[in-house]
Amino acid sequence: MIDLDPGPAIAAQLERVRWLGREFLRPLGIEADRRGTAIPADHPFFQTAWDSGIGQLRLDEADERPRGERMAARRGVLLAEEMAYWDRGAAVALPGPGLGEPPVRRMGTPEQRRRFLGPFADPSRPRWAAFAMTEPAAGSDVAAIRTTARRDGDAWVLNGAKTFISNAIRADWIVVWATVDAQAGRAGHRAFVVEGSTPGLEDMRAEHKMGLIAYESASFTLRDCRVPAANLLGGEDHYESRAGFKGAMASFNATRPAIAVMAVGIARAAYDAARDFARAHYTLARPIPRYHRIAEKLARIARKVEAARLLCWRAATLADVEVPNQVEASMAKAFAPAVAQEATSLALEVLGDAGVRSDHYVEKLYRDVKAMDIVEGTGQIQRVVIARRLLGYPSQP
Amino acid sequence: MTARAPLDYADAVIDLRPGADEELIRATARAFARERLAPAMRRHEERRGVDSEIVRAYRDLGFATMEAPEAAGGQGLSLFAKAIVLEEIGAGDPAASFALDGAGPALGALVELGENDLLRRIPHDPDLRVGVVYDPASALVLEGEAITGTHPWAPVPARGCAAVVVIRGDRLVLVREGVRCTPVDACGLAASGACRLDFERAPVESATLDAAAIARALAHARIWCAAVLVGAARAASEYAIRYAQERVAFGRPIAHHQGLAFLLVDMATAVDAARLLVWRAAAVPGNARDAAWAFAEAAEQALFVAPNAVQALGGHGFMKDHPVEKWMRDIRTLAQAAGGRDEAELTAALAEAGA
Repeated sequence: MIDLDPGPAIAAQLERVRWLGREFLRPLGIEADRRGTAIPADHPFFQTAWDSGIGQLRLDEADERPRGERMAARRGVLLAEEMAYWDRGAAVALPGPGLGEPPVRRMGTPEQRRRFLGPFADPSRPRWAAFAMTEPAAGSDVAAIRTTARRDGDAWVLNGAKTFISNAIRADWIVVWATVDAQAGRAGHRAFVVEGSTPGLEDMRAEHKMGLIAYESASFTLRDCRVPAANLLGGEDHYESRAGFKGAMASFNATRPAIAVMAVGIARAAYDAARDFARAHYTLARPIPRYHRIAEKLARIARKVEAARLLCWRAATLADVEVPNQVEASMAKAFAPAVAQEATSLALEVLGDAGVRSDHYVEKLYRDVKAMDIVEGTGQIQRVVIARRLLGYPSQP
Repeated sequence: MTARAPLDYADAVIDLRPGADEELIRATARAFARERLAPAMRRHEERRGVDSEIVRAYRDLGFATMEAPEAAGGQGLSLFAKAIVLEEIGAGDPAASFALDGAGPALGALVELGENDLLRRIPHDPDLRVGVVYDPASALVLEGEAITGTHPWAPVPARGCAAVVVIRGDRLVLVREGVRCTPVDACGLAASGACRLDFERAPVESATLDAAAIARALAHARIWCAAVLVGAARAASEYAIRYAQERVAFGRPIAHHQGLAFLLVDMATAVDAARLLVWRAAAVPGNARDAAWAFAEAAEQALFVAPNAVQALGGHGFMKDHPVEKWMRDIRTLAQAAGGRDEAELTAALAEAGA
């Protein structure tokens, strides 16, 4: 029999996220949205969050290889949904190594893990790190990145431009992907840790976005940016054996369901807002045609959100038990943002003309959720991933 | 080891995998569906009935009333396990499902009405059928202790049923006599029969006014139909995927043209999404809203999958040489059972309205 109960241990963690969300993420997310700029790095909330352990690593963790944890993926989707429910933008703004952590942890040498993750065990101030793959002309087609890396003595010289990089402006360091051979596709890729103060890391600027204002998506230029050879993640050896690494990582995917479920969280927030508005303004049980449409819309949102959540849970379950889940993870990522977009749009309609007003919050969710169909592989890329496995769809059609 | 103490998750598990016992049940049902049902689907359609020996084989496997309590001759197995069986039956031949099961979506109502003798006979009598009509607006008139009126279609055989259950908004009613079954041509589900039902002062044999019992009976009916829909949609999706990998156009398998590839992927995803809502409702049965969700989602997704499976085969899909046209008709018909999508979505909407 399937089991749909997260259980008491996770319930306690969820309760903590609810508190954080109610007290900080939601109000700060709304405030940032109205202001039109991200939550500033020196906002006292970040110190509070840091002090309570959010984003901080323990010293012993910094030097550790990732370990399998029986519930890691399922815990991940539950907490991610709850975070996104309160405010996905503010959640991404939280301090910590973020997306920079996995490559350093998985590819980095012990010395690199200590050097770059170690400071995240320092309790004195909140820190951020970032991950930079996307370029103005290379999004889904990762192999098309054009930022170059050229060896010059004891350094690598990087040239190129990166865009849509979360938290890059406030990051202590950024994992920057560049190519040593643009013709070689992914085989030519190298990952470098570029520290924030490095000369040649220039033109750092925050992009103006439709939603998810609470964190910065930055663009920057690398202009003859000299990075010490010791900052090439994993050293030269790593890239010789990279195929094996990629193969191992490719089978169980816990990231896609965790990103997909954020769309579920946003859609659930839209449902709650629409339901509360409906209860406050309409007596849905009255036989008024429009009221009936509203009840139907609420029911459709609730059903679709649940279907999407279950697809995410299934993919996470498989990741935890190490059953290959590429198809299931991509199905979750293709399905959840699509239904979440429909859900936020229907929720907006429930509010009638008030739905488009910014003080009613639902229109913010409508703007925010769009990104979930784009980040971590667009809906189209997910379909390509599924098609390869289900249909034998060729990699280079 | 300097690792932090692992958190204790021993008691905490979301798990979306069926258990080993359920996988065993699935394997048995799948073998039956593939070996006995699927090869006979056109014959059964033609003769508007399922061969008695195949019905007997199904009932000998114990599937027909497996989810009924032991006191009623069932095995007291979960509705979740039954949903797994029904998905396999739906993938073999959805049209046979009512005939195989005997009571089918009426089983929940029979349990609520305490019709244990009737339930106990089902596994041993391959000709025994119980019909079910969902009549929320009370189009059938209840006068005194008898029902009068016409219901346009139900998947029942021409020879009639041992009993017919009427699920009304205000009560569950069972009648045995006074129901005339007149065969009609219908869009699909021919193997289970298709009749107009004329209730001619049919005397009420048993009834309940218990709203919770009515809701449970309806929830069972919806989950039952939804599980068969998922199976039928799965079969259609998988058939289209196989075909599209073999059929070549413009120098490559048509599955490798992105326009069709994405559609096929969305079809496979639709089946999985529907299945998970069916599982969720079946795992914790009795919840009216969850069962309504399961039916609404299964119907919506199956109705998306089936016509597109025909589309994937192009002109071949329209021909009876392939089963996809049959699944399209069967799915359209089955999605109309138990009140159809409208009533399921209405149940869910009423839950939102707090009514």
